[in-house]
Formats: sequence, structure tokens, C-alpha cells
Amino acid sequence: MNFVTILFYFFEAVAALAALSLVLVRNVFYGALILVVCLLSLAAIYVLAFAEFVAVTQILIYAGGILVVIIFGVMLTAKIAGKPLVVKHTNVWGGTLACVALFTLLLYFLSSQKFFEDGKDKMQAADTAINTIGFGLMTEFVLPFEVAGILLLAALIGAAVIASSIKSRNV
Amino acid sequence: MPETQTHYTTFFEVCLLLVVLLPLVSFVVSGRIPQRYSWVVTFTAPLFLLISAIGAIYIFTAVWHHQPYIARVNWFTIGGTLVSAGVYLNDIAALMLLVVTFISFLVHLYSTGYMAGDAGLTRYFAMLGFFTFSMLGIVLADSLLLMFVFWELVGFSSYMLIGHWTEKDEAAAAAKKAFLLNRIGDAGFLVGLMLIWAYTGTFDIVQLSDINEVFSWQTAASLCLFAGVIGKSAQFPLLTWLPDAMEGPTPVSALIHAATMVAAGVFLLARVYFLFTPAALDVIAGIGILTALMAALSALVQFDIKKILAYSTISQLGLMVAAIGAGAPAAAILHLFTHAFFKAGLFLGAGIIIHVLHQAQQQAHEHFNVQDIRNLGGLRKKLPFTFCAFVICGCALAGIPFFSGFLSKDAILTAITHWKGDGFSWKWIVLASAFIVSFLTVIYTFRMIWTVFMGEEKRTASLPVVEPPVIMRGPVAILAVCSVWLLVDINPVNFEGWLFNTLHADGNFHIGIISIVSALWVILAVSVAYFMFRSKTIHDDLLLNNFYLDKLYFKIVENPSWRLAVFTDYFDRRWIDGFIHASAYAQVTVSHLVGWFDRAIVDGTVNGIASLSRGVGNFTRSFQGGKIQSYILWAILAIIIFLIWILF
Amino acid sequence: MVPVYHFLWLGAFLFCAGLMVIITKRNAIMVLLGIELMLNASNLNLVAFNQLHPAHLSGQMFALFVIIVAVCEAAVGLAIVLRVYQHYQTSVPDEVTDLKD
Repeated sequence: MNFVTILFYFFEAVAALAALSLVLVRNVFYGALILVVCLLSLAAIYVLAFAEFVAVTQILIYAGGILVVIIFGVMLTAKIAGKPLVVKHTNVWGGTLACVALFTLLLYFLSSQKFFEDGKDKMQAADTAINTIGFGLMTEFVLPFEVAGILLLAALIGAAVIASSIKSRNV
Repeated sequence: MPETQTHYTTFFEVCLLLVVLLPLVSFVVSGRIPQRYSWVVTFTAPLFLLISAIGAIYIFTAVWHHQPYIARVNWFTIGGTLVSAGVYLNDIAALMLLVVTFISFLVHLYSTGYMAGDAGLTRYFAMLGFFTFSMLGIVLADSLLLMFVFWELVGFSSYMLIGHWTEKDEAAAAAKKAFLLNRIGDAGFLVGLMLIWAYTGTFDIVQLSDINEVFSWQTAASLCLFAGVIGKSAQFPLLTWLPDAMEGPTPVSALIHAATMVAAGVFLLARVYFLFTPAALDVIAGIGILTALMAALSALVQFDIKKILAYSTISQLGLMVAAIGAGAPAAAILHLFTHAFFKAGLFLGAGIIIHVLHQAQQQAHEHFNVQDIRNLGGLRKKLPFTFCAFVICGCALAGIPFFSGFLSKDAILTAITHWKGDGFSWKWIVLASAFIVSFLTVIYTFRMIWTVFMGEEKRTASLPVVEPPVIMRGPVAILAVCSVWLLVDINPVNFEGWLFNTLHADGNFHIGIISIVSALWVILAVSVAYFMFRSKTIHDDLLLNNFYLDKLYFKIVENPSWRLAVFTDYFDRRWIDGFIHASAYAQVTVSHLVGWFDRAIVDGTVNGIASLSRGVGNFTRSFQGGKIQSYILWAILAIIIFLIWILF
Repeated sequence: MVPVYHFLWLGAFLFCAGLMVIITKRNAIMVLLGIELMLNASNLNLVAFNQLHPAHLSGQMFALFVIIVAVCEAAVGLAIVLRVYQHYQTSVPDEVTDLKD
């Protein structure tokens, strides 16, 4: 049990608690902040899993981009300004049943299957990971990379068009 | 018969058409004229009949003693058989044509005075015209079927005219009675027609007269025809309607119930005389003489002047029928001819008495039954003209020599004497009865005239009685003139004049001794009557009620049929209605059951299926309530189930 | 070193939590948050399974692409939520039922 392991379990506990509180919380704004906590701890876990590039991307995109967009969305959909946007729950029992059952199933599945050979079931560091990713994006994954760029462009334009307030179009 | 058609010109045919159709025109015109202008009818109707009578005189002169006139058109085809309708105008028919139109004209003329001011004047004249037309139809018809049609029409117009004064219950009842009793006879007529058709295949009188051999059932067929005559001419079993029919207006009684319609029966017998077998003729003679005797006895004691005349008519008709039965249609027709005039004269004379006394009563505000001869008497001073005419016609009825009735009655007595040879048979009973009838005729005629015109005035003493207008006296005068012997022959004691010799081809018919006996017999009767009735009247309930025939009919026919009707009514009500009601209830119950089954089971099944599918639809629809999160939940649950199924 | 299975357990938990959020919250933005959470759970799995071929790094590459797709989804989804809110004056997904039968 070294320091890295302790960090890992700490962040793992933070992420799990944040997810749990996201389930329980009723205020949308609090929910967004809790999600930020969860995503940041996930980014830390990525670092511990030797995926630095993914972790940085996670922080940049989620914490910097998506969460800002979401918080703007919360503000724009609040009916009465200044009053916290309280959310009601629905399908509580059905949802609980489904999720607990699914979680049980997944745990049973994970414990009954053996994905990794003995000795390889621990996180290993990969050398020159960022180099490899850079080369990969420009060689092997160049087509998905370009497509992803077009997708982002389309999503950007689409989001702008959909959210534009020209009422005459009336969707 | 080629020479038949060449003899008759187009003018003749036009005249015949006029004679027949003018009464019909009178009927239509009288029926169409509105009530306000009813006085117009009193001019048009006699005018039409005058033209008709003049035409009839021409036709009579043209046809008499010539070949019969025959014309026919196809009437209808039934099966493969053609039934024709047409005119068969022989001597008898021509004579009847003349009598009918002439007397009808006189009665029309007389009625304009008698019925003046009557509310139903147009209806009266319309029906008179219709009757005359129908009667001419009977006279001219060349087939028995056509004759039957007009026979019924005559019965109908008689019904209408008897019941002319619809406000009188007696008149309505009498009309109904006449109609029903006539129907009984007509049923027999119809059966006779069927029998004749069945055995000869024709209704045509000319064709029937050409059939020489006797067909089976001919006696029955001819007797069935005679049943029609019994009804129409008021012979023995069905004679009670005629006295009751006197409820109608007096001119109607004169025309229909004395001169023409009741004589139609005799006319029919004479027309189809060749059909009758000897056996049938025996029956006819028996019934005729029985009727004559009964009616003469009844006439003796009647108090109603019109009923005396009615029974007298029945009696005379009985004599005619007996003459036919005795094989002398010529004698019967001769008597019919003379009887038509003097009996019409008597009726119209009685009508004058009734009319003037009614008017006098209205002026004096006194009311009693003017038709009851017990209330009358001594009218010869106040009504000298009527008295004269009445006496002349009465003498003709009684058979006094030098009057027409003497001659025609002589002919009948002679015919009966000639009947069945000289041997002993029951013809002597008939002959004796005929003599008794003629004796009784004298007595009741004398009684009537004496009681009404002679002696002291009774209740009429205070009444301002005056003679009627000339329009009523004229017809009576003409009829009185026609009642003398000159009508028959210039010889006052020999009936074999122009008429009889034409109708009866065999010569040497007349027996002088009969005339002498008859004359003496009549004189005896007059003297007996004079001594009998000068001061008193006889009263006999049996005869007054015509041997209680009506009561008998009531007992044996009406009562049982009433009981039968009550029983059938009960049966109808209790059983048939009950059955119908029960079946109706059963049906309703079944309907309710079926309705319940329909609603509960059939509809229930359909509705159940519908609501089941609706429930299923609602249930499945609830999964798609537009709630995305529910969709996701169900999808996840499905995945879980799928996973469990896959993994375990 | 940390066992790979612990990553997988966390991923399973996060996935179930995100699903719970999606199913139970009556707010479109919260649903979007749940979707982000589930995407991150799958990302975590991808990163963990990268350990099967550590030198190849295809798991991390997939995680990057998933992040990109998540960005697109979030942007378009939020735009739709705003639009729906303008149109229906509500952000509750159950109340948008125009396509109900």
C-alpha cells in the first residue's frame, strides 16, 4: 500500500461519493458542481492509470467546456431568477430496482470473468504514451480524427442554429 | 240473321242509344247540379225522360212484330272464352222498354210536384235516372251475366230510393231489409248462372234458346234463376220486404215497387222461359199462386193505404208468376203490361191523397197518420178528380169488365185452365186459388176505395184539402186512361188483342166461358164486398202481419243467426283473440329473451372484445405515454431480463 | 500497483449512478448530466482495458474519441434543451408529449 495506491482509492471514493450524491441531489446547479467534482477525480484516476493525455483532455473539455455550457443551460432554463432550480424525482422505485439489479449483474459479471492473465492485472506504465498517441492520430487513426473534426464542426453549427433565438423559424 | 240488320237503320240505333243513355245522362246531370240550383233538376230530368220515352215509342213500333234486333260487342275474354255484351231486343223487351220509359217519365213528372222542396231532390232524381238506366239494361241485355249486373244495379238503386229519407229509421231499416232479402235471391241467381255456364258454356240468351236438348241439372239451374225472381218480385219466402219498402217516397213505390222493378222478375221468367223444365214450372206455378193467395188475404186487413197496394202488388205478381208456371208467358206479360199502368195509377193516386193531406195538415197544424185508412173517409167530395182516377184504376185492379185488368186476368185464368190438359190434376187447386184471389182482389180494392172516399169524413173533415197541381194530376189521368180495355183490344171481352197475339203464336186460345164466369164472379164479389164493408172493417192480426212471416223469419233465421253471432263473437273474443293474445304475449316474451340475449351475449361478446382490446390498448399505450425516462427504465429492465436469460 | 478490476468496479458504479440519474430526475439538464456520467464510466473502462495491450494505446485513443462525441452530444443536447424550453416553457422531459398518440 504505497502513496499512489492511497491516492487512487481516495479519488475512487471521491468519484463514487460524487456520483451517489448526484443521484440524490435535487438542485440542478449543485448537480453540475458535483459532476465537476466527479469528473476531476476521474481525471486524477486517469493519471494514476497512466493515461495522462486522456486526463488532460478530460479536464480541458469537461471541466472547462461542457460544465460551463451546462451551467449556462441551468441559468437559461431557470424559471424564476434567483430561486434555486429544484428537481423532482420520478420512477424512483423502478429506477432503483433497475440500477441495483444492473450493478449486481455487472459486479457478478466482472467477478466471474477473468479478463487479464495473472501478473498482468495491475496497471502498467506505458513508455512514450503521448508520442504514441500523436503518431497514432496522424497515422493509424487519421481518418477518425478528421471525421471527429467534421463532427465537432457540424455539432457546433447545429447547436448554434438550434439554440438561436430567431422565433420566426419556430423550429 | 242478315235480314235483321238490314231492317234496322242507323237512326234506329241512335234512337236506342238515346233511350238507354238519356236516363244515365239524367243521373249524371242531376248528381252534378249543386244543391242551390236543385230546381233545375225538376226541368232537366223529366225532359230527358220525355225524349227517352218518345224514342222508346219509335223503337217499339220498329221492333214490334218484326225480327229481334241483336247487336253485341266483345266484353272481356276469360281464359279462352269470349264473353260478349250486347242488346237483344225482341217483342217482350220492346214492350218492357216502352213501359219502363213511359212510366218512368210519368213518375218523373209527378215527382216534380210530389218531391218539391225536398232536401235531397237532386239525389232523388239522380237515383231515379240511374234506376231507369239499370232497368233498361235488364230489359235489353242479351246475356244473363250482363242482365245480372243490371239486376244488382237495380237492387242498389231500389235500396237508395227506399232509404231516401235517411232521417227515418223505418226507411233505413226497410232499405236494409229489401237489400238483404234481394241478396238471398240473387245468390240463387248467381248459382243458376254458374250451373248454366257449366253445362252450356254460354250466357247468351239467343244461343241458349237454340239449345234444344235438356241438359242435366237444368231443373236446378232454372229453379236457381227463379230464386232471383223470388227475391226481386217478392214471391213466397222472400215477400216481406215489399210492404216495408213502402217507407220510400210514393212515386218510387209506383215506379219501382209496382210497375217495373218487381216486374223484372216476371220479365226474366218470360225471357228465359225456354230454360224451364216442366218440373220447374210446376214449382213456379205453386209458389206463384201461394204468394198470390197469401198476399191477397193480407191485403184484406191492412190499414195503411200503401201497404194495401203493396200486398196487392205481391198478389198480382204471384198471379203473373203462376201464369208463367202454367206455361203462358204471354198471359203473364199481358198482365204485367196492364198492371204496370193501373197499379202505378193507384200508387200515384194514393200519393196524391198523402201529399194533399200532408199539406193540409201543415196548414191546419193537425197531425195524424194520413196513410191509415181508418183516419180517412168521404174524400170524394174534396178530391173528385183523384176519386175518379182511383176508381178507374181500382176497377182495373179488381178486374171489372171494360177495364184492362179484366182482360189480362182473364188471360191468366184461361192459361191455367189450358194447363196440363183437361184431366184431373192439382191444376184445379191452382185454378180455384186463382179464382179466390180474384175474388179477394175485388174485396180489398172495394174496401180501400170505399173506406177512403165514401161514407162520412172522419179526421179530414176540418182540413182544407184541395186538389194537387196539374203536374201531379196529369200522370194520374194518363194512367187512368190507360187502364181501360182499349189498351188491350177494341173488344172489351176478348183479351186476344194486338199484344197477346203477337206474343202467343198459337191461335184459338180464348175460352168464352171463362170470361163470363169471371165477370159473374167479380159482380158477386162486388156485391159481397158492398154488404160486408159498407159499415164495418175486419180486423185480423194473423193477416195484418202477413201470417207472421216476419216473426217466423225472426224466430228461425234471425234469432238463431243472432245467437250464432253472439256465440261466434264469444268464440272470437274468448278463443281466437285469446289465442292471438297468447301468441302475441309469447312472441313478446320471446322477443324480450332474444333482445336480452342479443344485448347481453351477442353485444356483450362484441363489447367485451372491444373493451378487452381497448384495455390491452390502454395498457400497452401506458408504456408509451411520451415519458422518455419510462422508456429508458423499461428498456433497462428488458436488458436486465435479457442478460439474466443469457447468462444463466 | 492498483488492480485493473478496481477501475472496472468504479466504472460499473458510475454507470449505474448515471443511469439512475437519467431515469429518476425530472429535468432535462440533469438527464444530460447523467449521460455525461455514463460516458465517463465507459471512458474509465476503455482506459482500464487499455491495459490489455499497453503498448498499443488503442483504449486511450477510443477514450479520446468518446470525449469528442460527448462534447458534440452535450452541445447539441443543451441547444435542444434550450429550444424546448423556449417552445414549451418547461425543461421537464415528461411534459413534452407532442408525439404521444
